[in-house]
Amino acid sequence: MSATLTPPASAAPSGSTAPMIAIADLSKTFRRRDGGTHLALDRIALDVHEGEFVSILGPSGCGKSTLLYMVGGFVEPSSGTIAVGGRPVTGPGPDRGPVFQEFALFPWKTVLGNVAYGLREAGLGRSAAEAQARQLIERVGLKGYESFYPKELSGGMKQRVAIARTLAYGPAILLMDEPFGALDAHTRVRLQNELLGLWERDRKTVLFVTHAVDEAVFLSDRVVVMSRQPGRIKAIVPVDLPRPRRREELLLDPRYQRLVIDLEAMIEDPPEDLPA
Amino acid sequence: MTAIVRRLPGLPPLLACLALLLAWQAFAHWAARGGVPDALSTVRELPLILGDRDSLGAIAESLRRMATGFAIALVVSVPLGLVMGRSRIAAALLDPLFMIAYPVPKAALMPLIMLWLGVGDASKLLVIVLGVSLPIIYHSAAGARGIEEKMLWSARAMGMGPVGRLTRVVLPAVLPEILVGCRTGIVLALITMITSEMIARQNGAGNILFSALDMAQYETVYAMILIVSALGIALDMLFEVLRARLTGWADDPHLIAAPPS
Ligand SMILES: Nc1ncnc2c1ncn2[C@@H]1O[C@H](COP(=O)(O)OP(=O)(O)O)[C@@H](O)[C@H]1O
Ligand SMILES: [Mg+2]
Repeated sequence: MSATLTPPASAAPSGSTAPMIAIADLSKTFRRRDGGTHLALDRIALDVHEGEFVSILGPSGCGKSTLLYMVGGFVEPSSGTIAVGGRPVTGPGPDRGPVFQEFALFPWKTVLGNVAYGLREAGLGRSAAEAQARQLIERVGLKGYESFYPKELSGGMKQRVAIARTLAYGPAILLMDEPFGALDAHTRVRLQNELLGLWERDRKTVLFVTHAVDEAVFLSDRVVVMSRQPGRIKAIVPVDLPRPRRREELLLDPRYQRLVIDLEAMIEDPPEDLPA
Repeated sequence: MTAIVRRLPGLPPLLACLALLLAWQAFAHWAARGGVPDALSTVRELPLILGDRDSLGAIAESLRRMATGFAIALVVSVPLGLVMGRSRIAAALLDPLFMIAYPVPKAALMPLIMLWLGVGDASKLLVIVLGVSLPIIYHSAAGARGIEEKMLWSARAMGMGPVGRLTRVVLPAVLPEILVGCRTGIVLALITMITSEMIARQNGAGNILFSALDMAQYETVYAMILIVSALGIALDMLFEVLRARLTGWADDPHLIAAPPS
C-alpha cells in the first residue's frame, strides 16, 4: 500500500514528551444477553500527544465509541490501562470534555444556561459565568440565540451549543463521538471548518471518532484506522498536509486525494472466506 | 367555522355542554321516572348547595384533604420513582411491590385502613395518598429510566456528583413525565376523595352526595355530581396552565392530548 502508512506500534510523532493520552493493552468485553461474551476491543495501544488532533476511523460496530467512552471514564475497561496527563483514568473529569452525536443538551436550559452550566458547576458566580458563556456563544456563531431553548434550534445549532458548553469549562482534551454524524452534508462541512478554526486557535488535544474518511483526513494530524470483530487498530496513518487547511485547496491536493483513496481501501471489509 | 373557533376558543366546549344538558333533559322527559331528575331542576339545585354555608364548608374540607393527600403523595413518590428509574437495585426491590400494588383499587382498601386508623381524617388521607402515588411513581420511574444517558455523562464530566445529578439533571429532565403522572393523580385524588367519604361518612362532598342518595334526594345527588365534575375540570385546566409554564421548554409529551389551537 501507500508509503504513508506506519505500523500501529510506532505511534508517536516527532518529539517524545510524555503523551497526553496513553492507552496500553486496552480490551473491552461485553456480556451478551444470551450469557456469552463479546470482545468489542482487543488490545488497543495508542498514544495521543498534547495539541494533537487524532481521528479514530472505522466501520460501525468496531468499537470507536467504546474506546472514546473509556478514555472519558464513562465505561470501565475490561483490561489494560488508560492514563491522561500521566494519571490513570478512574472516572470522568473536567479535563476531558465530551461532545456526543446525540448533542445531549439540557433541554430545560436556554443556550446561555447550557453553555454557562459547567462554569457554574466549577464554582463561578452567575454573572461571570454568563459573561464567559456569551463570548463562547459568539465564537460558535450563535450570537442572538442566547435565550433559545434546544428544541427551538436546528441540529447544527444544537451541536454548536454542545461544543461551546464543553469548551466553556476548559477541558484540555476534547472527546468527540461522531459529532457531525447526525447533520446534513452542508451543515457538516460548515461545522468541520468551524471546528478546525477553533482548534487552530487554541490547539487542544482532540480525539475525534468518525466513519467518514474525508472528515478524518481534513481535520486530523493522524488517523487511527480500526477493523471490526474484534475491534483492533489496523493502522495509524499520519496526515502530512499543511495547516491551516482550507477545504477548497485540499480537495485539489493530490496528497489529500491519495490519502482518502488509501484510507477508503483500508476500511472496506476484506472479502470473507477467501482461500489463503 | 375555524375562524370563529379561533376567535372564541370557549365556544365549542360550551356548545358541547349545552348539547349534553339538552340530551339529559330529553332523556329525563322520555324516561319520566323516579331517580332521574331533569337537567333544569338539577341546575336549579346548584345555588341552593353553593349558597349553603355547611355544604360549602364540607366541600372545602374535601378539597383541603385532597390537596394534603396530593402533596404528601408528590413529595414521597417523585424521589421514589426517580430512584427506581435510576438504580437497578432499587428497581429490583421495589418493582415487584409496585406491580402488586398498581392494580389494587385503593378505595377497596378503605375498610381495612379504617380498622387501623379509624373513620377520621387519617384513613381518608391515606387512601388519597395511595391513589395518587402510583401513577406519579410509575411516570417518574419510566421517565428516569428513559433519560438520555449522555446528558448524565455530560454532567459527570463537569464534575457533578450523584446527588446533584439526581436533583439537578434527572429531576428537571423527567419533569414533563412527572407532570403527566400528576395529571392522572389529580383525577385519582378526586375519585379517592369522594369514595373514601362515601365509605367513612362523616363530612365532605362525598358525604353530602351519598346521604342525599340515601334520602332519595336525587336533585341534590345530581347537582353534587355536577359540582364535583366541575371541580375536576377546573383543577385539570389549572394544572394545564401550570404545566405549560413549567415545561414550555419540552416537546409536547405524547401522552397528553394537546387542546386544539
Ligand atoms: N453497553 C453495551 N453492551 C453490550 N454490547 C455493547 C455495548 N456497547 C457497545 N457494544 C457492542 O460493542 C461493539 C462496539 O460498539 P461501539 O463502540 O458502539 O462501535 P462504534 O462506535 O464503532 O459503532 C458493538 O458490537 C456493540 O454492539
Ligand atoms: Mg459509535
